Amino acid sequence: MTKLYSAASIAVFAILLSACGKADTAEPRALAGAAADQAKPASANQSAATPASTAAPSTDPGVNAQGAATLEFKKRIDAYLKIHNAAEGKVPNLKRTDDPKEISDRQAALAKMIMTLRAGAQPGDIFAPEYQPYFIKIVQDDFKTRSAADRKAIVNELPANIKIDINTEYPTTIPLETFPPVLLRKLPDLPPELEYRIVNKNLILRDVKANLIVDILRGVVPTIPS
Amino acid sequence: MKRLNVRLITALWILLALAAVGQAITDQQPSTGASISSATEVQPPAGKDSVKFLVIGDSGTGDRAQVETAAQMWKAHSVFPYEFAIMLGDNLYGGERPQDFVNKFERPFKPMLDAKIPFYAALGNHDDPNQRMYKNFGMGEKRFYTYQKKDVRFFALDSNYMDKDQQRWLEEELSKSNSKWKIAYCHHPIYSSGGRHGSEVDLRSIVEPLFIKYNLNVMFAGHEHFYERIKPQRGIYYFTAGGSAKLRGGDIISNSALTAKGFDTDQSFMVVEIDGDVLRFQTISRRGKRVDSGEIRRGPTS
Repeated sequence: MTKLYSAASIAVFAILLSACGKADTAEPRALAGAAADQAKPASANQSAATPASTAAPSTDPGVNAQGAATLEFKKRIDAYLKIHNAAEGKVPNLKRTDDPKEISDRQAALAKMIMTLRAGAQPGDIFAPEYQPYFIKIVQDDFKTRSAADRKAIVNELPANIKIDINTEYPTTIPLETFPPVLLRKLPDLPPELEYRIVNKNLILRDVKANLIVDILRGVVPTIPS
Repeated sequence: MKRLNVRLITALWILLALAAVGQAITDQQPSTGASISSATEVQPPAGKDSVKFLVIGDSGTGDRAQVETAAQMWKAHSVFPYEFAIMLGDNLYGGERPQDFVNKFERPFKPMLDAKIPFYAALGNHDDPNQRMYKNFGMGEKRFYTYQKKDVRFFALDSNYMDKDQQRWLEEELSKSNSKWKIAYCHHPIYSSGGRHGSEVDLRSIVEPLFIKYNLNVMFAGHEHFYERIKPQRGIYYFTAGGSAKLRGGDIISNSALTAKGFDTDQSFMVVEIDGDVLRFQTISRRGKRVDSGEIRRGPTS
């Protein structure tokens, strides 16, 4: 069920990031600052299935730093999937049904189980703090390529002023932001259990079946001058 | 005199308050019946064995506008017996609780459900992807899917999240389809004259090349809360029909070069018939008026 995303996409991502790095070898101040703002120390009771140690960017000259970012991201996604799959095994299976209560009950049960299994989850468990600048750069570079009207159209559709936190349910009363497909092409692939969304200018990882916010990368979407 | 004035003002306030309460009650009337009883102007289908379907967009409010429009849809069925319905997303606004499914889908569309008319839904930005598990939405547990009706291949897309998996799937399915007609539908219009949203150019850059390459004929979308027929774009016909409950009155940009026909003063839906090489469409308002109609002929290269 769980699809592993292809090595090819990782390579594309690495090349893209590599190109970003070449164009701007020094880490932009704003990005570095933003990353520092996101980076929070790993909690002592951090979930066992997510890497507790911060993954230092590779200093091995043979390892492409951007590729390492993708690999670390993939490793953390895999760790999350183990939790997700374990949780799915502990709640009743869901088949196609004409009873909507079965759908909402199952979604809630799965969310609750994952929340329990990830009780110590922290921001940055998936978006490793060391590699957050790469994600931020992808999003911000994407926005730079867009026309003012396009940027405005995207930002206008973003859910705003919503309180969100990791390991909590995505509020069901607000719309899910439509993810710009061109930007989606630039981000690392995700397995079908997870998706990217943008809320309040933050990039989130959302568990589709559980409607759960898995991780948040804050302040990713640039402010659009009015 | 002063006392009289006070009484008059008090009476006026009471009247205003009663009027406001009355309006609030009217707005919150349970979605059990429709009050608009105007006759339908729907014309019967021309073909004998044609594919006949209903097009609904942005319907999931559960309010009076939805109920009345749904009643008009059922009235249209008596003249134009569509066999199934496609939903263009925003199937449920404001929540995904069991009662939302009842109030915003099952109750307004009860006559169709009772008549075993199948629905095939696409997801909108207000829809939780877990709606794919709901049998009455006909999605077969998939966010995006395809199905065949006689000569017509339908592609229901999830335009909220056009990831690489979906792109690959779409290309594969389009390329292997030998159907006479290929029709796609999703929530977001890639061409639109809406003042609030407008064309989804990001999505267009991804899907339009596939549509052209594999000879898609027609695309339906919602998201914009009005009806718009777009002038053919690179050989493909586009309809926006996202006004089946919500309405964004006056939102179609006037003098838009894209618009062939627009209607944004009342709720609406479409009935469509595909008969051999001809597609005939009618767009019907909540009050049963036929606000647009026409036919499309398959091109020789399709």
